Amino acid sequence: MSTVDNSVSGAVPGAPAPRRQPAWLKLWPVQALLFLALLVAVWAVTEALNLVIPAYQGQILLFTGINVIITLGLNLITGVTGQLSLGHAAFMAIGAYAAAICTVSLHLPFALALLLGGLVAALFGVVLGFPTLRLSGDYLAIATLGFAEIVRVVNTNLKITNGAIGYYGIQKRVDLPLVAMLAVAAVAAMAWLENSRNGRAMRSVREDEIAATASGVNTTFYKIQAFAVGAFFAGVGGGLYAHTTTFIQPTDFGFLKSVEQLSMVVLGGMGSIAGTVLGTIVLTAAPELLRFMSNYRMLVYGATLIVLMIFRPGGLLGGVDLRDAVRRALMLGRSRTVRTSVGGDGQ
Amino acid sequence: MRRLSAKGFLALLLVAAMAVSVAGCSTGSSSGKSDNGPIKIGFLGAKTGNVAIYGLNGLKGLHMAIDEINAAGGVLGRQIQLLEEDDAGQKDQATNITTKYVTADHVAAIIGDPTTGITRVAGQIANSHETVIMSFGSTGTGVVEIGPYVFRDTLLDAIAGPAMVDYAISKKGWKNFALVTSKNNDFSVSLSSIFRDAIKAKGGNIVVEESIQDGDTDFSGQVTNIKAKSPDVIVFSGYYTEGGLIMKEVRKQGLNNVVMIGGDGLQGADFWKLGGEATEGSISYAGFSSEQASGKTADFIKKFHDKYNEDPELFAAQAYDAIYIIASAMKAANSADPKVYRDKLAQTKNYEGVSGTITFRENREPLKSPVYLLQVSGAKDPASAKFTLLDKVPVK
Amino acid sequence: MAQFLQQMVNGLALGSIYALIALGYTMVYGIIALINFAYGEIYMFGAFTGLFLVLTWKANLYLAIFGAMAFTTVLGLVVERVAYRPLRRSRNAGRLSALISAIGASIFLSTLMVLLHGPATTGFPTLFQNRNFVLGGASISLYQILIIGVSALLMVGLDLFVRYTKTGRAMRALSQDADAAALMGVNTDLMIAITFAIGSALAGAAGVLAGIYFNAVQPYMGLMAGLKAFAAAVLGGIGSIPGAVVGGLLIGLAEIMGVAAKLSDWKDAFAFAILILVLLVKPSGLLGRSIIKKV
Repeated sequence: MSTVDNSVSGAVPGAPAPRRQPAWLKLWPVQALLFLALLVAVWAVTEALNLVIPAYQGQILLFTGINVIITLGLNLITGVTGQLSLGHAAFMAIGAYAAAICTVSLHLPFALALLLGGLVAALFGVVLGFPTLRLSGDYLAIATLGFAEIVRVVNTNLKITNGAIGYYGIQKRVDLPLVAMLAVAAVAAMAWLENSRNGRAMRSVREDEIAATASGVNTTFYKIQAFAVGAFFAGVGGGLYAHTTTFIQPTDFGFLKSVEQLSMVVLGGMGSIAGTVLGTIVLTAAPELLRFMSNYRMLVYGATLIVLMIFRPGGLLGGVDLRDAVRRALMLGRSRTVRTSVGGDGQ
Repeated sequence: MRRLSAKGFLALLLVAAMAVSVAGCSTGSSSGKSDNGPIKIGFLGAKTGNVAIYGLNGLKGLHMAIDEINAAGGVLGRQIQLLEEDDAGQKDQATNITTKYVTADHVAAIIGDPTTGITRVAGQIANSHETVIMSFGSTGTGVVEIGPYVFRDTLLDAIAGPAMVDYAISKKGWKNFALVTSKNNDFSVSLSSIFRDAIKAKGGNIVVEESIQDGDTDFSGQVTNIKAKSPDVIVFSGYYTEGGLIMKEVRKQGLNNVVMIGGDGLQGADFWKLGGEATEGSISYAGFSSEQASGKTADFIKKFHDKYNEDPELFAAQAYDAIYIIASAMKAANSADPKVYRDKLAQTKNYEGVSGTITFRENREPLKSPVYLLQVSGAKDPASAKFTLLDKVPVK
Repeated sequence: MAQFLQQMVNGLALGSIYALIALGYTMVYGIIALINFAYGEIYMFGAFTGLFLVLTWKANLYLAIFGAMAFTTVLGLVVERVAYRPLRRSRNAGRLSALISAIGASIFLSTLMVLLHGPATTGFPTLFQNRNFVLGGASISLYQILIIGVSALLMVGLDLFVRYTKTGRAMRALSQDADAAALMGVNTDLMIAITFAIGSALAGAAGVLAGIYFNAVQPYMGLMAGLKAFAAAVLGGIGSIPGAVVGGLLIGLAEIMGVAAKLSDWKDAFAFAILILVLLVKPSGLLGRSIIKKV
């Protein structure tokens, strides 16, 4: 794997240039401490926020945070690695059921249940990752869609999930500070992953699979890795969802849920963490914000998707390099090369 | 960096405006619990999405009831104001709305959701904020168990289902049953297990079990299987849409003398509108009969017909009752504060509603007695078809 | 045996409906490689138009079908013009932007129908007296014959059109290499519009026929039908006209055979399980051309 680093950084036009940072910032204990400090700060802020903001807005924020964790996973699969998935809700379902079964039937601690939910989903991510070896583009999309439908039907028929009646009796264990911390941790983990050697390799799979293979990137390995990690995030998000609503049914994780998650990623800007977060915020809040339109709400929602795609086809933040923009605004450095390619043309 | 085009800028601006308005969402200062101003009631249900039909039907009944109450001077001298948000049949949206109702709008009661699933989710929130919630459609378990503020005014299948099976075996002499379940509908799955137990307990045989899904339109495979076992009757635990379509297919395949029996899910004019003549003689149960209607039920049906030009569906009647039951509890307690009137509500006894006579038992489960067994007649002409009374079974 | 034959007939009829919808799907995809998610909604609008014509103007079967086809043709063109063409023109629009736009169109159209009609399922009035014919123990209804016949007819007609007319040749050229075709003087916008028009007309016909056959028309009927048709098109090899029919028939048969084998609980999983298995063995679908990607 040692060849990957050199080959990939050459092959990818969008790979970030090395940053000029003080040497002490690069030490991992320093970074870990900074990260911990960030989490504590997030916790403190949201605890305070929790006291101030009304419960309704807090509830929307909470679902936004859960969705961010889930869509970041999808962004890794579809946005970064270029593998179009129409079945992300299946991983969420697997994580939700696994975590719920862990806390309700097995009486495991909540944190462990969340982790296990994520891991079980990741396992299925690996299983689903294998077809990607042979499929690409829309064929892969329909295979993932089929996988999600199969998961839904299985959940409807299994005893352990209580079938269509749904799984109830789950304790409410989720609050805003917890979700906020996990969401921030998810963003940090994704940023770290995308800027690592693995992330660059994944990007190279999206940009040009053949070129990536020729440069020595084990594309199979990175595709499966993307599915596993993406599914893990969805699984954790699913566990959070189950312990928020306290009741889950197979129909909660249907095709429309997958479509909604994909819309969030594409709307914000494929392959961009900031874009995914923004898209998720917008689309989680949109149904609530559009409430005043009453019956016309979903009509406007559909039309908004079309209009936004026409005017910002690369997504809200597509083609905008946030870090670059911030740096330029602060005059901290010269503008880097323009990234012209926008995610989504992969394969 | 690519410059934003003017159009792109506009799009971004649009989004920014939306984001800002989330922060500016008013929290609603006027409280439904305060002693003046209108009494706020929150409707919970789907107005869009694939379970919208149940929410929209309930809403028709609610509108009618509230118009009547307000025209008659309101409750405790205050008008009723209905807040109606759409949960689209989704639990996250339902969570958001319920939170909004109980914390921002301070509603005096929530009416909904028609489905058991969402009532379980919303019930937790309403109960923990000591706000009354009354479902006009849920029949599954795990609803009133949530806590003292959770109610429903439905006819419970655990009571009516066995009464129906008993009638089929002892009065009709049917022995061999085909049981059809809608596998993705929690109501149907629960009711099927009630039917299954009742049939076994009363000595009947289930010769074939088939499953379908809500939203299916092709039942040819299942009906061919059923036909091969020649049952005396088809028991279907789902809703009228699929029920009507199944019967249509049953006749299409030449299975001519078999009728359908089922729960109150079959109570809807769409049953014969979709199934046509094939539904003639099919039996369902309900908490009332339009023939033997007390003046109130007959009056309701007539007024409903005048207003919406259609017959009231079960959920419309139950939503209509829900608001009246709550209103009379408020009157009895002389308060619109859920903490105060909840006790009176729980003591509701023999309330003459349009969907039946309702008593809340100790555990707040509704008891509707007698159970009316109703038979479809005149299905040849869907415009004038109706459920006619077959039998009245007292239950307790 | 008779029961098995009966299930075969049931499966063929259901499969023919899937095939009919898949035909339009595969055409659009074959030309511009766009998963047209709004396709299911166009099918739904076709069914409602037919219903409307029958209820208000007492139209007969043919009028209902042609009326619905005319309306969905226009609707398909409008959707193409509003939701897809601007994206095709845009330099930055990837295929996923088009997909999201299509999803937006799909949500818009199904919500619009809920507003216009309400969410209830409506039955189709009887347009002609149904009759059952008994063939070797299995009974086949006039409806089933109609569905199977119309699907076969449309498939052959469409195949001939694409093979032998000038427009058809232009379409095929476009599907192989859009830029080269444009350079050779093919009006790509016009050809894509014609493709959408034909595909939407087929969806309209399918909508009315499905409405009559199932006796149920509902605003959300397009979603599952669209997904199954998509699966059928991919199974047969997307872009291939006979492939769409083969795929549709296979999925219909598989579902009904699953029910016959007492596995109706798992019915909805069959179509997709078969699809995934086929794709794993032959990723380009049963009758699809495999494309070798070159550097």
